[in-house]
Amino acid sequence: MSDINLENKPNRKELLCLINQASFAVDDVKLYLDTHPCDTAALDYFYEHSKIRNQALREYAKYYGPLTVDTAVASCTDRWNWINEPWPWQEGWC
Amino acid sequence: MWNYEKRLQYPVNITQTNPKIAQVIISQFGGPDGELSASMRYLAQRYTMPYREVTGILTDIGTEE
Repeated sequence: MSDINLENKPNRKELLCLINQASFAVDDVKLYLDTHPCDTAALDYFYEHSKIRNQALREYAKYYGPLTVDTAVASCTDRWNWINEPWPWQEGWC
Repeated sequence: MWNYEKRLQYPVNITQTNPKIAQVIISQFGGPDGELSASMRYLAQRYTMPYREVTGILTDIGTEE
């Protein structure tokens, strides 16, 4: 892909770690919000981490292939990249 | 309907094989009181749950398990 600036390429493990952290925060506050839907502090926490998660997922897809079907377009070239990158149980860490 | 994410909820890094521990983990995962049957139980119970909050909790916990 020609429009990728390789000098700004993020570190793969760091980016995945950020995705995992933000996703954990989102999953956890989601459970809390199910029973406390009017807690504005929790809502703000959800919005903040949900935004970080979505941005990081799109960034990851752009450089290292998609982790979700919704970010598959961010890594689209002239071929389907979903099956190229390693699966979570491969290569030790994902 | 569920969507797959190509990552683990918590990173796993196995450095050495250990059949004894693997035996415990596999029964925690698929055994009679394991995650698999718990998730199915949550997702089945939510259909008759009268409280909206708890239907949400059952759905989201069942999804995570």
